[in-house]
Order: sequence, then C-alpha cells, then structure tokens
Amino acid sequence: MSHASVLQANEADGIFVALGDASRRAILKMVLQGPQSVSVLAGAIDVTLTAVSQHLRIMESCGLVRTRKVGRVRMCEADRRGLDVLADWVSLNRRMWEERFERLDAMLRDEAPPAP
Amino acid sequence: MTTAAQFDTFTMEREFDASPARVYAAFADPRRKRQWFAESDHHQVEAFTMQFEVGGRESASYRFNAGSPFAGVLLESDGVYLDLVPDSRIVNAATMAIGGRRISASVHTFEFSPAPGGGTRLRFTHQAAFFEGADGPDMRRAGWQQLLDRLQAALDSVAA
Repeated sequence: MSHASVLQANEADGIFVALGDASRRAILKMVLQGPQSVSVLAGAIDVTLTAVSQHLRIMESCGLVRTRKVGRVRMCEADRRGLDVLADWVSLNRRMWEERFERLDAMLRDEAPPAP
Repeated sequence: MTTAAQFDTFTMEREFDASPARVYAAFADPRRKRQWFAESDHHQVEAFTMQFEVGGRESASYRFNAGSPFAGVLLESDGVYLDLVPDSRIVNAATMAIGGRRISASVHTFEFSPAPGGGTRLRFTHQAAFFEGADGPDMRRAGWQQLLDRLQAALDSVAA
C-alpha cells in the first residue's frame, strides 16, 4: 500500500497524539514547505530551542519529521512515512464501505437458495 | 478555539443478486450483519452489538492487525437507528473514534429498490462531519496543507 506499513504498532496513534498540539502542527506546516533549521522553527513558533527539540523528538518518533546535522546546523524536514499514514487514514473510511458491500455481495451469493 | 467542521457527502450504488427482502434481512440480523459489516482481514472485532429498531443502538470496536497501516490502533463506532422501512430504507447515525479520540459523526442512508431480474439496487449515501472528508487520491491532490487544516479543524472541534 504505502511506506506507512513499515511503521510499528501504535505509531498511527502517536501521529494523532503528536498532531494534537498546535505548536507541532505549526512545525509540520513549516517543514512541508521545505527543510528548516531547528533555530528558525523555534523562532517562528516563539519557543526555546529546548522546547522545539522536545516537539521534534515526539514528531520524529512517530515518523512525521526527520532531522539531520548539516555542518553545525540541525535541519528538520517532513518524513513521508508519517504523512502516508495520515493519507491512508483519510481514504480508509470509503474503502471500508466498499469492502463491506463486497462482503455483503459474497454472503448473499453463498446463501442463495437453490434454483427451483 | 473552534474551527469550522469539515463536511463530506458521498454516494455508492451497488446491485445485489438477491431480493430486497433478503438484502434487508442481511442488515437486520445481527449475526449476519456482523459477518459482512464488521468482520475483515484488516482487524479483529473486539465487540459488535446492535438492536435493530428505531432508537436502537449499534456499537462496534475493532483493533487493526499487525501489517495493516494502523496496526494496533483501536477504532470504535457508536450509532443509533433513525428510520427503518422494511425492505426499502435504513437510516442510522454514528460517531467514529480512533485511539479513543472521536473524529467523525455521520448519517448513513441505505435505500433498497428492486432491480430488473429480481435483484436489488442499493443506494448508500454517507453524510459526514469530519476532517478526513475526501478520499485518499483527492486529498493527495488537495495537498498536505489542506489535510492539516482539516486535521486541525477536527482536533479543535474535539477539544472544544
């Protein structure tokens, strides 16, 4: 389906928890535009470097962002794995109904009374 | 702060090679409804109960299997039957929660009509207030910004 399947159990839960916080949603919105340095992120959402690092640790652990050192600067970028989990969730509801009707169809065929 | 809820409506049409009475019965009988509605390879059904009467309740909870994109996640639905017309219409309303967080409320209307050849045509209309309104491809086209806006709207409405 997607790269999302490589995520461990409960990481989807982790994503929803991670995005329950307005600062972390603001961080994700910014890095979706392109990689940002951690200090720029801290300045943009007006928190300390320590606070933004804590947010980023939570977001990294559920696959929403990645960070890496470029020289002396720590850069943060969006991670497809977490985003794919979100997209899968978005499409899940419709897919569930399609599959239900397929199972209903199969069940009705299995139960069909013998032809007279 | 509460942001406006997001709304989505979609319709699915299906034809079944069985009479309206048989199709309706597959919705009315808890054992058989569980079989097509709740059972799936993707998850374990932890609970499924229903009282098929106007005002009756239908509740289900599912745990996604390892290997699915939502491995280990708990999905719960809780709903009530609003209108029942034997062999022709079923209307219910339900909320859905993921990981204990309620993320949508929706009205489901099932309309059954006889199809040529003795079968049944089903028109299913799903009207929902939630953040993951459109389907995956649409959402991917719409872009992540919009997805996040919808997610924010849903999270804000849950927190309100």
